[in-house]
Amino acid sequence: MWEFLTSQMGISIVLAAVVFGVMQGVVAYAIYFERKIAAWIQDRCGPNRVGPLGLLQPIADGLKFVFKEDVIPGQVDKILFVLAPTIMFIIAFIGLAAIPWGGQWEVGGKLLNIQVANPDIGLLYLLGVGSMGVYGVVLGGWASNNKYSFFGAIRATAQMLSYEIPMGLCIVIVVLTVGSLRLEDIILPQTQYWFGAIPQWNIFLHPLVFLILFITMLAEANRAPFDLAEAEQELVGGFHTEYSALKFGMFFLGEYAHMITASAFISVMFLGGWHLPWLPWAQPEATSLAAVITKMLILGGKVVGFLFLMMWIRWTLPRFRFDQLMRLAWLGLIPMTLGLFMITVGLLYFGLHRNWVWTCGGDAVILALSLLYVAVSRREITGRSPGAGAIGVGAVAG
Amino acid sequence: MTSETAYLLYFAFALGGAGVYFLLPRGAETRPTVGALFGAGSLIALLLVLSTRVITPDHTTYYFYLFSTLAIASAVRVITHPRPVYSALYFILVVVSVAALLVLLEAEFLAVAAIIVYAGAIMVTYLFVIMLAQQSSTPHYDSRSREPLLAVMIGFILMAAIATRAADITTSHTATNQSRPHAASPVMLVTDSATDESLAGNDKAKPVGNTLLVAASIMTRYVVVLEIAGVLLLVSMVGAIALSRKRVPMEGYRPAVTPLGQIGKEVEPF
Amino acid sequence: MIHDEDILELSEPSLSPSEKLFLPQILGGMVTTIVHMGKSMVGQHRTVQYPEQKRELRLENYRGVHRLNRDEQGRVACVACFMCATACPANCIHIEAGESPWEDREKYPVKFDLDELRCIFCGMCEEACPVDAIELTPHYDLVGRSREEMILDKEELLSVYDETRELKPRKNPHITGYEGTGGRFHANGDKND
Repeated sequence: MWEFLTSQMGISIVLAAVVFGVMQGVVAYAIYFERKIAAWIQDRCGPNRVGPLGLLQPIADGLKFVFKEDVIPGQVDKILFVLAPTIMFIIAFIGLAAIPWGGQWEVGGKLLNIQVANPDIGLLYLLGVGSMGVYGVVLGGWASNNKYSFFGAIRATAQMLSYEIPMGLCIVIVVLTVGSLRLEDIILPQTQYWFGAIPQWNIFLHPLVFLILFITMLAEANRAPFDLAEAEQELVGGFHTEYSALKFGMFFLGEYAHMITASAFISVMFLGGWHLPWLPWAQPEATSLAAVITKMLILGGKVVGFLFLMMWIRWTLPRFRFDQLMRLAWLGLIPMTLGLFMITVGLLYFGLHRNWVWTCGGDAVILALSLLYVAVSRREITGRSPGAGAIGVGAVAG
Repeated sequence: MTSETAYLLYFAFALGGAGVYFLLPRGAETRPTVGALFGAGSLIALLLVLSTRVITPDHTTYYFYLFSTLAIASAVRVITHPRPVYSALYFILVVVSVAALLVLLEAEFLAVAAIIVYAGAIMVTYLFVIMLAQQSSTPHYDSRSREPLLAVMIGFILMAAIATRAADITTSHTATNQSRPHAASPVMLVTDSATDESLAGNDKAKPVGNTLLVAASIMTRYVVVLEIAGVLLLVSMVGAIALSRKRVPMEGYRPAVTPLGQIGKEVEPF
Repeated sequence: MIHDEDILELSEPSLSPSEKLFLPQILGGMVTTIVHMGKSMVGQHRTVQYPEQKRELRLENYRGVHRLNRDEQGRVACVACFMCATACPANCIHIEAGESPWEDREKYPVKFDLDELRCIFCGMCEEACPVDAIELTPHYDLVGRSREEMILDKEELLSVYDETRELKPRKNPHITGYEGTGGRFHANGDKND
């Protein structure tokens, strides 16, 4: 048994089970903390009735999802209606398979990767899985045979198609900098130091790329301010309007699992994954079990940080209008990432792609150019040229 | 390739063609059961053809049969399903099955690229258009196929010709290798020996990944194709951005006669 | 009536260059929310934990459940003049008058039913009452299992007074005094009517 558990296959199976199980709980408590943070930001105190501090609230919510009536409306396309939440749920979770959770574990003279799968193309795998994620939303919205759901699905499709381009370009920039598609290999260069003190995390190399990738991740995960697919004020619930009980719960879990996958992904890409500077257990050389657990906790902490950031943003910023969303992607992020991509390729040619002065300089040039364009352009950033017409008519009193 | 297996292959394609003919939507005349029986017979015949050449079955063999059957069945449903949305979804299933087959060949890069490009981008766009075009009812031009006999005949004769030729190639290939093709061989075939050497000198400690080999071949032998495709894609992207910038004035738009008051500056917010 | 010249067409405010960049504004907004979050986390939130905590109401003018006041001798202060029932816009007060057993007034309410479900809590009855017998209390958590239960009769309304007399003393206890049998009453308190 121990033999099996300490083989790569055994590690993968155990880790898959652990990650899947833990993620269910993490997702449930992510929903709890979303409610708590929303409440705190709005000067309320949030769920506090079920259990101490309301900590049993996710269990109560889960039971509610299980025991509610599972309505399948009469005019829906039944097969796709049932399939859609399943796709959403599965896609959101299988992305976690490629995340390197804890570096390597040395046991019995062998080095085992603490990773469910370590494919050569881990990055592309995540990208492919992410690009399939839209099907859950699209099929759910279409199968519901409801205009609001359908609008939600259409919005989701257009949005995800648009934001996949800058996301892909950002990933390409990181791949050019690091030179590998394997997630573990993306972490390793980030564990070195500048001046013996500052870790060479990619965020210090390309802060702007990090920012853009984070924005596209928000859009891909359908999070505010990009949650147009489920804009409550306009579309009732968007693609999940017709869903109830466990199927709605699966959409919900899928959304949060998607957030967690995106957070883990961006942590690996830009924040060194399980690496933490100057902690001996969080270095690539440390391969003991304690080091593995420390690394998992560090990556978990980074994921929690990103989840908090996403929630904080959600409860701060208002939702984009759809044309603003499209303009941001096509006229903002795509030209910016294209410029960054060209600069990175040029730096790669001269061998300066890991020199932070040059990469940050490139980022700064692109940011300054785009900000300059926005600041001096006469066109309103809200999409309305000045004096283009009335948005509303008000009677003047007196 | 012996003549018996060739005849078996033709027989399989004939059965498959008959099956697809009966499965094609023609309103009440569609015979799904008959078509499915013919299709199953065709698959069994194909299995017999393949059984003459599998050398040592291991666990990946069963995955091969599973995913190839799935791919063929889904491909049939792509053309026989009367509802376009389902056709598109079955096509996604085809892409995913083929990607699984590529993974079995240890060509992960091609597998994931197929999923990203076809399932992730192109089919989403198709689905988008199909869903916009029709909501619930199936119009007659979707529920009836035109010229089913001719289409099936042309398609399957073409496929039989290609398959026979392909079977010949793989026969000679396995004859020279005397074993199951090496893991990365589908990609190795297109790699120059020069790039192999340069890759070997690059980093000996690391295993040379499939992605690296693909990259090496497209950046050396097929670099012109890559450049042309890249320029084409760039032009289309620039075109898309240019199109999205174009502003069409609204018809019957009446410009404001009075200078507009601004909310929050000249007028109190509501 | 709105005339054409009263209509002003509005546009969005034009943004200053720094506002166009969005980023400073976004960061400002996020600072605002995190400050609120920190305050709420240390307990400075605005939520009232209802069954345990209750809001502090303004006792003198909160319009909750009604009560029928008692005079100094513990009798019902109402003189069955029907002013409240007449003033009530929701028609929720039903009074049956009878001959008063007491010397100082002619009539008193034999029945006094008030349908709390019909009532819109406008306070007109309190305004109308010449003897300040009906008043609205700060009680807002009136519940019942049936519609019948929500029709409060005279005894129930009087018991509401007994419960709330410390919380909100009767406004003007001297007003109900009758003098003689002339049927006229006059105010000897400070109420100006």
